[in-house]
Amino acid sequence: MKSPAKIVTLVAVTLAGVGLLSGCSANAADSDGTTTIKVVSLIPGTEQAAFDAFDAQVAQFEKANPDINVEGVEYEWSAPTFAAQLAGGTLPDVFRIPLTDAKTLIANGQLADMTAQVEALPYFDTFNPSVLSNAQDADGNIFGVPREAYGMGLQYNRALFVEAGLDPDAPPTTWDEVREYAKIIADKTGQAGYMQMTQSNTGGWQLTAATVARGGSMEEVASDGTVTVTADNSATKEALEYLKELRWTDNSMGSNFLYDWGTINQAFAAGQIGMYTGGSDLFTSLTRESNMDAADYGLTAIPLTDAKDAGVLGGGTLNVVNVKADDTVKDAAMKWIAFYDLNKLVDKDAALQDAKTLADTDQAVGTPALPVFDQATLDQSREWVKEYINVPQEQIAFFAEGNVGRTIVGEPSAHTQELYGALDTAVQSVLTDKNADIDALLDTVNKTIQPLVDAD
Amino acid sequence: MSKTKIEDAEDRGIVSVADWTKPRIRRTMRASHAVLLVVLAVSGLGPLLWLGKAALTPTQDTLRTPLAIFPNGIEWQNVVTAWSTIHLDVQFANTLWVAAGSWAVQIVVATTAGYALSILRPKYAGVLNALVLGTLFVPSVVLLVPLYLTVLDVPFVGISLINTFWAVWLPAGASAFNVLLVKRFFDNLPREVFEAARTDGASSFRLFWSIVLPMSKPIVGVVSVFAIIAAWKDFLWPSLVLIDPMVQPLSVRLPALQQSIELGVYLAALAISSIIPILLFLVFQRMFLRGAGLGGAVKG
Amino acid sequence: MTVLDERPSVVDPPQPAAATRQRRRPANPRTWVRNGGLSNLLFLVPMLLIFGIFSWYPIVQSFVMSFQKTNLVTAPTFVGLDNFVKVLQDPLFLTAVQNTVWFAVLALLFGYPIPLIAAVLMSEVRRAKGLFSALAYLPVVVPPVVAVLLWKFFYDASPTGVFNSILAMVGIGPQPWIQSITAAMPSLVLEATWAGAGGTIIIYLAALTGVAPELYDAAEVDGASIWRKIWHITLPQLRGILLITLILQVIGTAQVFLEPFLFTAGGPANSTITVLLLIYRYAFQNSLGGDYGAATALSLMLAIFLAVLSVVYFRLTKSWSQN
Repeated sequence: MKSPAKIVTLVAVTLAGVGLLSGCSANAADSDGTTTIKVVSLIPGTEQAAFDAFDAQVAQFEKANPDINVEGVEYEWSAPTFAAQLAGGTLPDVFRIPLTDAKTLIANGQLADMTAQVEALPYFDTFNPSVLSNAQDADGNIFGVPREAYGMGLQYNRALFVEAGLDPDAPPTTWDEVREYAKIIADKTGQAGYMQMTQSNTGGWQLTAATVARGGSMEEVASDGTVTVTADNSATKEALEYLKELRWTDNSMGSNFLYDWGTINQAFAAGQIGMYTGGSDLFTSLTRESNMDAADYGLTAIPLTDAKDAGVLGGGTLNVVNVKADDTVKDAAMKWIAFYDLNKLVDKDAALQDAKTLADTDQAVGTPALPVFDQATLDQSREWVKEYINVPQEQIAFFAEGNVGRTIVGEPSAHTQELYGALDTAVQSVLTDKNADIDALLDTVNKTIQPLVDAD
Repeated sequence: MSKTKIEDAEDRGIVSVADWTKPRIRRTMRASHAVLLVVLAVSGLGPLLWLGKAALTPTQDTLRTPLAIFPNGIEWQNVVTAWSTIHLDVQFANTLWVAAGSWAVQIVVATTAGYALSILRPKYAGVLNALVLGTLFVPSVVLLVPLYLTVLDVPFVGISLINTFWAVWLPAGASAFNVLLVKRFFDNLPREVFEAARTDGASSFRLFWSIVLPMSKPIVGVVSVFAIIAAWKDFLWPSLVLIDPMVQPLSVRLPALQQSIELGVYLAALAISSIIPILLFLVFQRMFLRGAGLGGAVKG
Repeated sequence: MTVLDERPSVVDPPQPAAATRQRRRPANPRTWVRNGGLSNLLFLVPMLLIFGIFSWYPIVQSFVMSFQKTNLVTAPTFVGLDNFVKVLQDPLFLTAVQNTVWFAVLALLFGYPIPLIAAVLMSEVRRAKGLFSALAYLPVVVPPVVAVLLWKFFYDASPTGVFNSILAMVGIGPQPWIQSITAAMPSLVLEATWAGAGGTIIIYLAALTGVAPELYDAAEVDGASIWRKIWHITLPQLRGILLITLILQVIGTAQVFLEPFLFTAGGPANSTITVLLLIYRYAFQNSLGGDYGAATALSLMLAIFLAVLSVVYFRLTKSWSQN
């Protein structure tokens, strides 16, 4: 550049570039009649083999649907990221949300109405109604497609069990046994026998799981719909007392107490934690991302007390479609969702193809899950892909066996994230302050969250 | 504080030549300098050497015996995995992009604005100058949320800059510090040169391009160093606006990686992220240190 | 470098226009263009656009938003002082303020004297001065995020943690570091000092070379000891820069974010939640949209506090620094 005029041009081009670069958004019908949809692929940082498997599935789908072009976008749900993408309108056409967020997003009109597409599915009638209801508004319109459902389970490291002289094929079934085992692991191996998530709202989430397992509830919904925050219920107190005993009496929780979902998985995979509660869908993440040896992984049902309402905290994710999508995109999105997540559960050929693709690229087949459709459908789909199952079933069978006949309880519905955040503090206090006053801590939670609920 | 003085000051300090001849003082000084050197080496170099070692150590060794030096051999795979499988190469390139773009925008804004406010000086220059100066007293925290909402939906244009580098580049240009620094530099350039060029019929553009810019290499250099270092270090803002890992710079990507890759690879990723700035520092040491001293002088 | 010589201060009043430049009032647009009005404006376009959109507009917005309820879904509504009331009533507000003050105090205790002592010692080094400076400055070059994440691993509280392993070698038992309500904040400050001290040392070193040698010569004629020279010459001569670094450090620590965010996310039990972290939580923590009103209200309160603090500080130290 030699002339002054050129630098003016440069500035102008630079500024114009802003418009060009961000003005071009994908989707909508392309000129050649194909529709491009952006869909979430895998968590960033996932190993290459998993991406290869994903690409293989995209190729299969595009072959079957030549008029649809699928573009994978790496995606990891996190609260700040999701809020930004939602507000900025940068979410892909097909993305996933936790069940707990659905009601608010539907009420705010931020999700595409997929009623026509979902109802047109041949297996629409077999959806598990308690899961599907999360994706519906008051009039029964459907805004999301159940993708997976999980129940809270007790994860344990079989290698640490062996090292501590415990039988990995006889995992604990009561909270007292968990405590006993935790003490043995801590004493024998020097690692944390039992731990729980504590950070970024996961502490409150797991405390809620522990509460539900003891028959308590964080929020009571009256018949007229008014919500009362009941963080100070006796089950929660019991759960915190339990942690206090393990931490301060037994000293069986190790020395690190700041864990969120990702970091506790890392620590568990690295053999630093004997047992913790977490979703039954963790196997894939632990072995794929945290490089855990599958042979060390054990999963059993979360212990329940004798309390009348004791149950297993459940959760799940929905596939949802960007509210900006037109009908063409919605139809294409539904086809993709069905192909990637649903057909393998209901169609033998699809199930075999999916399992084969995953197994060929050394990905997990046969991870424990709760039924998105009915139990019979789930069992049937497992039966079809039996030869491809590579998740050691005998190491996770305790989960399914232990959960027979149990109730799955949904997460608290009102201001869930704020509630969990406030409960984080209670959990962290108990684990780091020997003299923590549990009653006062839970009272603070009530006083913090109730006004938010009342303000709605 | 002039440059010449910095060099002449080697002649003497607090301790006089006479003091140095006293054995007691000399011993004390020598000893305290030795202690200082050891402390600086351990604290300055120690953690980085450890990081370098851990980057090449298998995860379980680092966890079990963090201080042992390669108890079970070297694990080169950590570095390979971090670079290729984890796609650190992409984030590395992004980091360079973020720095380059921020630099370009800052230079364009600071030099044109400095030129207009200092040399062209239209009659509303005073008002603009005050407006720019004013922003210097607004802590960046005030801008965080409204700027974020601005980037989500840029006024008049109505587009979102989220996940584009522009979301980092353009706000970086709004640096009052740069504008004032360049303006003050221009203020001190000899006016006669400009007047002479004017008399010869040079346009404002010609004057800017052929006379002012060539004269302002030193200040452009200073602004460049600040701009690039700031872009390399920034975390909070890019973490809010660059959400897609494929456009994230290293500083934003690393905390997320902590959750999803095993420790050995993760420490290798940390090491890779530090190595370029450290090498740059070792090569351009004098410039860095003078820049840091200057930072203090400018702030003062 | 001319800029080095004159220690520019950004608070100088704007200088009067050069004598050769005459004020002119354009009679009509054509004259305006011919007199260079248009090209003047063209050169200002980048600044006007960038500052307008990414600085002035957001600053105005932050005042407006602090009186509004905004969630990006429904239209913003005016809510008066509700946001401010909400923030002031939030039990975390007081915790965050206390923690921030505590961080600032600790940062001054660790981070203020150490660089000064190191710089004074280093200024007396006769050989390999560059080695000293390089070692001191090395941590500053490490990207802050890397520094925090690395130290987070060092702070592993188990007996096999890096720092605990080192302590074990000298017979000290494992410390909880960031896992304890009382030790977390000092641990954060320790890392922040490590990461920042080098920069301050270099600034002091530069200032120390500006102390006129004649002053020391004169003092020696009076038989002053080294300590007396430091106390009566060195420190008073550094007064200006010491005062500035003090207030800059306070303003910086009042906005501390990276360390509590990455080390502890405000934990354990909110013992490291700072004002900026609270702002971040208000605005960005919830996946269903943030409370932008509360966030801007708290930002404004912090900004006003810092402005008042700076003014008072400069008033109080005016006579001393110009002495």
